[in-house]
Amino acid sequence: MRSRVAFAAGTLAAFVLAAAPAFAQKQGGTLKISHRDNPPSASIHEEATISVVQPFMAAFNNLVMFDPNEKINSPDKIVPDLAESWSWSPDQTKLTFKLRSGVKWHDGKPFSAKDVKCTWDALIGQEEKSELIRKNPRKVWYSNLKDVTVGSDTEVTFVLGRPQPSFLSMLAAGYSPVYACHANGRDMRSKPIGTGPFKVVDFKRNESIKLVRNPDYWKKGRPYLDAIDWKIVPNRSTRTLGFVAGEFDMTFDSDVTFPMLKDVKAQKPDAVCEARPTNVNANILINRDAPPFDKPEVRRALVLAIDQKPFNDILFEGHALYGAAMLPPPAGFWGMPKEMLETLPGFGTDIAKNRAEARAIMEKLGYTKDKPLKIKVATRNIAIYRDPAVILIDQLKAINIDAELDPIDTTVWYNKIQRKDYSVGMNLTGGGVDDPDTAFYENFHSSSDRNYTAYKNPEVDALIEKQSAELDRDKRKKIVWEIEKKLAEDGARPVINHNVANTCWTPQLKGLVLQQNSIYNGWRFEDVWLDR
Amino acid sequence: MAIIDHEAELHRAGANITGWRSQLVFTARRYPLGAVGAVIVLTFVFTAVFANFIAPFDPTSTDAKASLARPGGVFWLGADFMGRDMFSRIVYGARISLAVGLGATLMGGILGVSIGLMSGYLGGAVDLLTQRLMDIMQSLPLLVMALVMAAALGPSLENTIIAIAIPLVPSVARVVRSSTLSLREQPFVEAARAVGMGELRIAVRHVLPNTLAPLIVLGTAQLGSAILVEASLSFLGLGIPEPYPSWGRMLSESAAEYVRTAPWLVIFPGVAISMTVFGTNLLGDALRDILDPRQRS
Amino acid sequence: MGSYLVRRFLLMALTLFGMSILIFVMLRLVPGDIADILVDAAGIADAKEKAKIAKELGLDRPILEQYGQWIGGLSRGDLGFAYVSERPAIEEIAPRIPISAKLTLMALFFSIILGVPFGVISAVRQNTALDYSLRVISLSGLSLPSFWLGLLVLMASVHWFGTIPIYTNEPRGFLQEVGLLAIPAAVVGFRSSALIMRLTRSSMLEVMRQDYIRTARSKGASNTSVNYNHALRNALLPVVTVIGIEAAFLVGGLIVTETVFNIPGVARFLVEAIRWRDYPIVQNLVMLIAFVVVTVNFLVDMAYMVLDPRIKYAD
Repeated sequence: MRSRVAFAAGTLAAFVLAAAPAFAQKQGGTLKISHRDNPPSASIHEEATISVVQPFMAAFNNLVMFDPNEKINSPDKIVPDLAESWSWSPDQTKLTFKLRSGVKWHDGKPFSAKDVKCTWDALIGQEEKSELIRKNPRKVWYSNLKDVTVGSDTEVTFVLGRPQPSFLSMLAAGYSPVYACHANGRDMRSKPIGTGPFKVVDFKRNESIKLVRNPDYWKKGRPYLDAIDWKIVPNRSTRTLGFVAGEFDMTFDSDVTFPMLKDVKAQKPDAVCEARPTNVNANILINRDAPPFDKPEVRRALVLAIDQKPFNDILFEGHALYGAAMLPPPAGFWGMPKEMLETLPGFGTDIAKNRAEARAIMEKLGYTKDKPLKIKVATRNIAIYRDPAVILIDQLKAINIDAELDPIDTTVWYNKIQRKDYSVGMNLTGGGVDDPDTAFYENFHSSSDRNYTAYKNPEVDALIEKQSAELDRDKRKKIVWEIEKKLAEDGARPVINHNVANTCWTPQLKGLVLQQNSIYNGWRFEDVWLDR
Repeated sequence: MAIIDHEAELHRAGANITGWRSQLVFTARRYPLGAVGAVIVLTFVFTAVFANFIAPFDPTSTDAKASLARPGGVFWLGADFMGRDMFSRIVYGARISLAVGLGATLMGGILGVSIGLMSGYLGGAVDLLTQRLMDIMQSLPLLVMALVMAAALGPSLENTIIAIAIPLVPSVARVVRSSTLSLREQPFVEAARAVGMGELRIAVRHVLPNTLAPLIVLGTAQLGSAILVEASLSFLGLGIPEPYPSWGRMLSESAAEYVRTAPWLVIFPGVAISMTVFGTNLLGDALRDILDPRQRS
Repeated sequence: MGSYLVRRFLLMALTLFGMSILIFVMLRLVPGDIADILVDAAGIADAKEKAKIAKELGLDRPILEQYGQWIGGLSRGDLGFAYVSERPAIEEIAPRIPISAKLTLMALFFSIILGVPFGVISAVRQNTALDYSLRVISLSGLSLPSFWLGLLVLMASVHWFGTIPIYTNEPRGFLQEVGLLAIPAAVVGFRSSALIMRLTRSSMLEVMRQDYIRTARSKGASNTSVNYNHALRNALLPVVTVIGIEAAFLVGGLIVTETVFNIPGVARFLVEAIRWRDYPIVQNLVMLIAFVVVTVNFLVDMAYMVLDPRIKYAD
């Protein structure tokens, strides 16, 4: 089965080890992990960053989840969590869950179907007065969810507007925990309660996050660990040193870049390191409403100027993946095949020829080496954004564009882009689940709040809706590829590459399975144990 | 007070030496540390001004093959993560340091002189008000004040200069004010007034030049601290933004990522900052000894 | 004397009041507010949600009202709620104060035991090679950025010991705590020790030129006795002043040092709070720092008055 193939040869060993039947697990111990920054809050539903999901997912349960023992999140590998089973109505618009009974929240109150309703009512804005959340970054995921009805304490039904096979995948994401009706937003943001294997006992801003074993966890014999200690260390060198020196059992997710990997391996030869995509792709924003990029030929010249390889070589030592809007296979479930990818603009291999064509376009418009087009490349003032922007600027010199970096304070970035107050931007796009609905609706559908570039193409809108309702997996994939192709040809966020980074841990840490196509899933820590 | 041997003092002070060249040699001999400082500061200024001739590479040009190149060979001081030549970046960084250091010192100086002259010369309510304002500004350490200012203004070259200049104002104003206070009662000022000179003219023509010596001493010291504060602000991510190769920013990024894998990225920008500030401090000490004998150490 | 004290207190209050206005206004000039940051952290820019958060935090109310609320609370000892953690600001600030205070005291201790003796030696051996090298070393103390010095120490530690001291919140006993803070304290203190050394030196030189020292010497007192009994005691007066002032200004050095060594003190917290536009935290921290500076200045003046009987405050 293709999805079983680990995407990089080096990770195969780790995969086999992790998938081997677990025996002789040891109880106890405190797992120590470094954290890269202060999580904006502890409320997973309100945030969109791994800084929140990785530490706090262990406090919660979902209704269903991607099989934590599988490397690839696939719609075919969804397993029960708080739901014992589920079924679709014949018209595929009603999804009914049979819930586990006897489950308790961390404060001892019983869990019931009402909690599920409260959570999703808040997410679709049904409950105006809901205190559960004040921000809702994934509202677009649930735009097709019309109602949630409670059948009994152990039965709940999601009513959809039309068939949407991806709906279950969204519920299976680490971003979709079940919240308690009786909780309030402020507590969820600072010291949340859940039904999960670990209780949050302390969240000290800028310092640490402490979770301890939930003795009343509904899954018998889990978790193995007594506690998880997160220590917030903003400086990456210090974090890496802490790992190498044995202060931490594990690095933060995707914290080890390729240039650092050699060093980690040299200093700690027994470290287990696994590379995988970070679910983030670097792409270029082009403002098509303002000169000079309102001319399609200038947009084309810009795309032709890009040589993806140096980006990859410099930033990822060649380990990044080339793909279009979706994460490419084999790590990605939905991306188009390689042969198809190579026919897209910007993916050709003859860079010299592309650039000659681009230069010809520019020169015809009067932009020469001595009289170059002067632009600013806007980007968020964060290193992971700035680094590719610096390379882009360097590459644009080749086609008579004299670009200057315009680092935007991260607080005003989205506002600026939404106001169309830029000409070219370097952007990173991340996705919570490897799923076409989440990726396309969030970023390219004209009705989405999160489509902050205001990309609008009725043809693409129609195709997005068509694939979303398509029940046949193979037919759906074909439509997905068509959308990817259209987006690329249209110069809608031309993708440079899909980032890849490493996560390392001590060999004493067992039972951890990293998910290849989403860094946001697989952090329940209930099967993880320490061999010491 | 002991009897002064005037002859010897004059000789020691180089009164019998004529010609600028021998004057220079004499001064350098007399203040060897100051001479070293002057050489460092001149090198710094020269590097900043002629950066485009000195730097062998474009400081923003990236090169995958040169990523984290070790010092030596084509890249004398190595290359950073993106393959940008460290030496060229440090050379261009001198421009930023000079622009911010000099800009902030001059701006702070001009503001401080105006406020100090006004305050000392006009006295009364104006003096009281400005003194209280200076009190407020001095109730925060320089870096804390600059940090808050820099955050309020947003990161850019101009804003960084302003953010550093403002906290420098009170000490300049205080020095100017106190010398103005003592000077305005001096006979030569009285005389100027008697011959009908305007107050503003007296202030600028007669009072200001006499405060110049302590000002130059203070200014040199402030140049050093301005460069240090810029480095600190950029290190904290609140100073000079990326397109400019600021030494402080170069340090902050390499410190976060390459302390172990590429220590030269941490060492060289730090050496550049330290040497420059060290030079201004040496020069400042010597200038103080020359210009302000009361504080001679 | 009594009226002088009253006047000093009034001036202190006035200064702090002015600072409160200054910091309040400056913070509102910062581009973007906490609502922007929170919304940004979620990767969206939903105007409705932003407005809701702004309203919840009272950011939509008139500036004057917000200021009145803050100062009113402050006078009752209520620092308000931190925006990010949504906990009382005092709960966030208080536990960080002892960490920075310990670091400051240790840095001060370090700078005195280095600065004063070397300053004296430098003065007594004026213009010798020893004097020159000590002066160069002290000047380098004023020239090295403390964050760079910190980084060099970390790099050296990695090189020789393969590890670095990482601050933990619950140090096991006094010794471990001292061990963890000693290196950062030395790094911050280095600069102050340079300053103290320079001042001790010039102060010593000044005093040694005074008539009474010459008198003591002419009466046959030994060199050592003159240097250490007469000169040093008098020379230390201005040094005490500088030590006092440095104590407050060490906070500036703490900002970068706490960042480099990952120490959860107030100084690093200030930088972090500015980044998050967490006004209640920034305002109160700035007031705390200003209060410390102003108080230390006051204490130094008082100490001066007590130590130096020549100074009289008539009015």
